[in-house]
Parts: sequence; C-alpha cells; structure tokens
Amino acid sequence: MTTTHAAAPPADRAEAQPKRLRSATAAGRRRIWGTVAFHTGAGLLSLLWLVPIAVVLITSTRSFDDIASHGLGSLPHSFTLGGFRAAWVDGGQKQALINSLIVTVPAVLLSLLLASMAAFALSRYDLPLRRAALLVMLGGNLLPPQILLIPVSKLTEQLGLYDTLPALIGVQVGFGIGFYVFVLHGFMRAIPAEIQQAAVIDGAGPWQIYSRIILPLTRPALAALTALSFTWIFNDLLWAITVLRSDSKMPITASLLGLQGQYVSQWNVVAAGSVIAAAPTVLVFLRFQRHFVAGLNLGAVK
Amino acid sequence: MNTLTSTPSTPGSRRQFLAGAGAIGAAALMSGCVTSSSSSGGGSSSNGGGTVTLQSNLSSPQAKSAMQDLVAAFNKRGKVKAGLNTVASETFRTQLPTYLTSANPPDLLTWYPGSVADTYARKNLLLDVSDIWTRPELSGYSDALKKLCTSSAGHKVFVPASYYWWGVFYKKSNFAKWGVQEPTTWDEFLALCETIKGKGVHPIGLGAGGGTAWVASAWFDYLNIRVNGAQYHRDLLAGRHRFDDPEVHKVFDTWSQALPYFDPNGTALAFQDATTALLNNRTGMMLIGTFFADAAPKDQLGDLDFFRFPIIDPKVPAAEEGPTDGYFASARTHRADEVKELMSWLATAEAQEIYLKGSSGTALPTNPQAKDAGTPLVKKGRALIEGAADVTQFFNRDSSDALQPTADTALTKFLARPKEVTSILTTWQRDAQKIWSQ
Repeated sequence: MTTTHAAAPPADRAEAQPKRLRSATAAGRRRIWGTVAFHTGAGLLSLLWLVPIAVVLITSTRSFDDIASHGLGSLPHSFTLGGFRAAWVDGGQKQALINSLIVTVPAVLLSLLLASMAAFALSRYDLPLRRAALLVMLGGNLLPPQILLIPVSKLTEQLGLYDTLPALIGVQVGFGIGFYVFVLHGFMRAIPAEIQQAAVIDGAGPWQIYSRIILPLTRPALAALTALSFTWIFNDLLWAITVLRSDSKMPITASLLGLQGQYVSQWNVVAAGSVIAAAPTVLVFLRFQRHFVAGLNLGAVK
Repeated sequence: MNTLTSTPSTPGSRRQFLAGAGAIGAAALMSGCVTSSSSSGGGSSSNGGGTVTLQSNLSSPQAKSAMQDLVAAFNKRGKVKAGLNTVASETFRTQLPTYLTSANPPDLLTWYPGSVADTYARKNLLLDVSDIWTRPELSGYSDALKKLCTSSAGHKVFVPASYYWWGVFYKKSNFAKWGVQEPTTWDEFLALCETIKGKGVHPIGLGAGGGTAWVASAWFDYLNIRVNGAQYHRDLLAGRHRFDDPEVHKVFDTWSQALPYFDPNGTALAFQDATTALLNNRTGMMLIGTFFADAAPKDQLGDLDFFRFPIIDPKVPAAEEGPTDGYFASARTHRADEVKELMSWLATAEAQEIYLKGSSGTALPTNPQAKDAGTPLVKKGRALIEGAADVTQFFNRDSSDALQPTADTALTKFLARPKEVTSILTTWQRDAQKIWSQ
C-alpha cells in the first residue's frame, strides 16, 4: 500500500515534465479547464446522490397533515420531530434496534473469527482438497438465498431454534462465512512465507502463528470485512422474517417495514424510522472508513 | 508456503472423525426434515393452557395500539390469557402460509373470509369453529356473513370483526362551488363528469400507480357488479366464466365511456398521492375504500362525502363492495378451547367497539348490536352496506392474491391503451387460466 503510493508521484512528474517544456501556458489552461469540468461534474453527480437522502431527512421532520395536504414532493410547511418519537416509541424501533445489535455484533465477530481460522488453514497449509473447499464456499455464495428460505425455516423449527435470535445469528454466520473466507484467503496468501518460516524456527505452533503473526497482519482486511458484514447483517430483512415470528424479537429492518400501514403509510414516520435505522451503519462505516478503503486497495493491488 | 505443512499426529483419524461427525449431523437434520409434518415440532408448548397468541397484520402505529387495547381488555376478563404479536402487513402476507403450516403455529390470525379463507380451509389448515357460531355472541350475525365465513366443506372457519366500504368520494365544498349534486345513475354520472371537466378539473382521480395498481380493480369490480351482477362477478373470479366473454367486454365498453374523464396521472400516482390531488382540488372524485380517510389531514375529514357507485342497469340488484376483516385459527393450535373463547369474545359488540374506538374509526363493526364511530360519513356507509342486495369482498379477496397481479397488468394496460381491449382480455384470460389450473 504505502510503497505503491510513494512510487506513484515521481512517475507522474516525470511524465508531465516534457509537456511543460513544450508549452507551459497551453497545458496550464487545459489543466484548469479540466479541473473546472471535473469539479462541476463531480459536484453535480454528488448532489444527485445526496438528493434522496436530503428528501428523506426533510420528510422525517414534517408533520403528516402537511404531507397529506401538500403532497410528498412539496416544500415543507412544518417542522416537527414527532415522526422520530412515533417511530421510536409507538413503532417499537427502540427494542428493534437493541435486537439488531444483539444479532449483528455477535454474528460479525463469530463469522470473522471462524472465517479467519478457515482462511488461515486453507491459505497457509497444504491441506488436501483445499481448492475444492474454497470453491464450494464460493459456490454457496452464488446460490440465490431465496431458494433456501423454506429449508432454513423448517430446519430452525426442527432444531427448536425457530423464533429465537440465536437462530438468526446462526443463519447470518452460515451465509456470510463463505465470502469472508474467500476474501481473507486471498489476503493471507499474499503474506510472505518467510515470516511464517521465521516463526516456525522460533518454535511457534499453528495456533501461535495464527493468533500472533497472521491475524495482526490481516487486520486491514478484517476491518474492511467488519464494516461490510456489519452493514449486510444489520440491513438484512429476508432472514429475519424467515426465522423470526414475534414482534418483540424483530430487528430494525422488519420493524421499519411495520411502520407502513396496511393501506396508508405515514411517510414522516417511515422516513424518521429510516434515519434511525441507517444511523448505526453510517457510524460503523465512518469508524472503519480508513480501513475500508485501504482494505479494498490491498485486495486489488498485487 | 507449501513447505510449511505442520505435522498433525495421525492425520487420517482426525479427518475421519470430522467426516463422520458431519455425516451424522446431516443425517439427523435430514430425518428431521422428513418427519417435520407429523411430529409436534419444537415441543415447547403443552396441550391446552398457556397464552393464546394472536398474530396480527395491523402494524400501523394507530391500529396496533387499538389491537393492544383489545387484547388488554380480553385479559382483564381473567379466564384465558391472550398475547398479541404484530407483524408488518407485507411480512404477514408473505409468511402466512408458513405460519399456518408450521408445527407450532400462532393460534389465531387476522385475515380475510370468503374464498381466501376457503383456500386454506381446503388444505385443512383452519380450525373448524362451527360450534361457536351457535353461541349467543354470534347469533345475531346476518346470513350473508354466515355464508361468507363458511368453507366449501360446510364448516364455519372464520369470525368477522369489522368491514369497510367503497364509494365515490368527493369534497362537499367543491360540489357546492360547482353547483352539482350526487348522481345516482350512470348517465347522470357522465353528465357530472362533463360539468366538472368544464371547470378545468380532472373529474376522476384513480391512484393506480406507484405500487397500488390494485386500486384500479375497484373500477372493474364495481362495473362488473353493476353490469353483470354480483353472482356473475364471483363466478368469473372463481374461473367459471372467461375474461374474454362478451359480458366482460360489455364492462370495458362501459368503462370506455368514462375513460376520457380520468386523471391522466391516474396510473402514475399512488393512491395516497391521488388522495392529496383530490384534497388539493386537482381531481373531482375518487372511487376508493374508506381507509383513504387515514391519508387525509384531520381538519379536512368533515369536508369529505361519498355517493354510491352509480346504477348502470336498473334490472341488476345493487350489490356493494364491503371487504370484511376478522380472524381464523390454525388447525394445528394446541389450545383449541381457549382460542374459541377468544374468538367468540372478539365477535361481541363490546370487543368490536373497543377496537373501533382505538383505530382510525372509519371501519364498521360486523356485530349488528355494536355501535360505530357515529360520524355522518360512517352512518351513511353503514346504511349503504346494510341496504345492499349483495356484498362482494374485493378482487383479491373474492379470488386470490395470485390472481390480483393479472388484473393489475390487464387494467393498467387498458387505461393506457383502451383500444386494444380485445387483446388485453385474451391475455388476461390466458394468465388467469394458469392460476386457476394450479
């Protein structure tokens, strides 16, 4: 990572040097116009991206009577935080958010722990059929989850886990782990063998190599996967409504769906609920943003 | 890397052990799957006793708290305890078959009577509650409701709790401003549309866009009921007639007469936005169910009124759409007696009044002794349904949720290209045939 970045600027400068010699002013003007075009284009594009978010934020602070009489697309005529109250208290989002965290945090930790162990074994040791194991894991990811809804629902019922949060944790770990192993395997394979050889010479066993050598070196990838898996598991709705039935156990996504009425939806409450539901993932992403970008680069650059 | 294989002691044995353990686990799960239908499942609940779970799809905050009041009132009576479990209505719709086939199902569920309930009754998933229909709580119920709650096998499987009605809604202040009266016949209705169009307002709002395409089915239902009668309508939806029959063509010919008066945005706006258009005087009228009042600001409710869908053929008895909501119980419940206790209480005037007081108040009670919200609008609606020659449910409730999308496709196409009605009806019949033959 750091080496590639350090190497890039000199190469760029060397390329730019002859151009500047030829006609400094023309190149400079072109560069200015390029910059202006780039910034306007990117600015407009990001504005386009931000419009839906702004609409949701504005809608969440309007009153329902305002929306009903002026329409969803009109300029706001009211300001109230009642929508947040309705979503948090009457809509049961408080309990739902707690449920979501009870599911998401253990599921992320457990799946990354198991996936890193599996990836360690598959990438650092010459196990028989390791290629096949890896392909099976990847193949499982290509399977559309919809076809497994009924088996999963019946299975959890048979195991006596139906309508419990551990069932949801189990399902999330099971379905996420294939992808995490695949990513971590690719990352761990790139760690130089000499490091591990040195550890073996110093008398480290497999467990020590895993926990004290490989795992710390994999931290950028783990951080990136933490942000990813947190978002996926937190935002999941499909598995939650498949293995859960009680409203007191539903996570935030399912409760957000519940804010919609059978016929009429109070858009201000739904928007407020969406803002509440989006907050944790945004926080996690901001916290892990640096690692996230770094992790993506590290996976890509050989 | 390849040289780094650690030397596990006795590699074979450990692997064999893991493989064996995996196989045993898989076999256990497989056998579990096979026996799932016959066993009593999780085994957490014993026969009889315990709390009756009421699985409800009324998830909007207001309706949810009305249901909570209802269950609290029941629990105060002491004998049997009930617990409410509210699920998002969309989740409920998709998960209902899972709930009913699960080995440890919710005991009582909110849903629709008629052909929808009968679909489940024919699969033996619903509890036979014929005995509670002889109890005093349900003795006063109308014959139409009795028929509605009876399965094709002759068992009562449903207890109705409330219903709402459909009508052509308008703003009283606008009708006064334009100097027009409520029409009673189709010709008067067309004349009224012409007048409103002259005022520069789209006469008929629809709201069949943005995920609420089913609203257009109300027009098909009503036109079919008025032109061909309620019995023909039900037979058609049950697959005993064809959508490309001349009778159905007549329905669309009649519709074409009113089509120039429809709001051109009718298939672009969702019904909630169409309601806003009506309130903002961009449209004049709207054929809609009373639930739409929830989408209106409270201070405008007094200005809303409705009239009965105009009579087209005076020889056809005037039937109305009065979709009924209520409860059915799972056949696999472990607490049949307690469930029946709760169901018969839910049929009482007392229970229905508690619910109506807490909810938005535009629904009507099914118990003839129960009082409604008492507003002029609700009184008029109750008189409309009680005076009706026959009551239909709604397109999806008289047929199935599977047939509804075929109607949505056909009607949306018709509204966009009314000239292609012949090919649209042929396609509709072909799509519907696939559903009926399932």
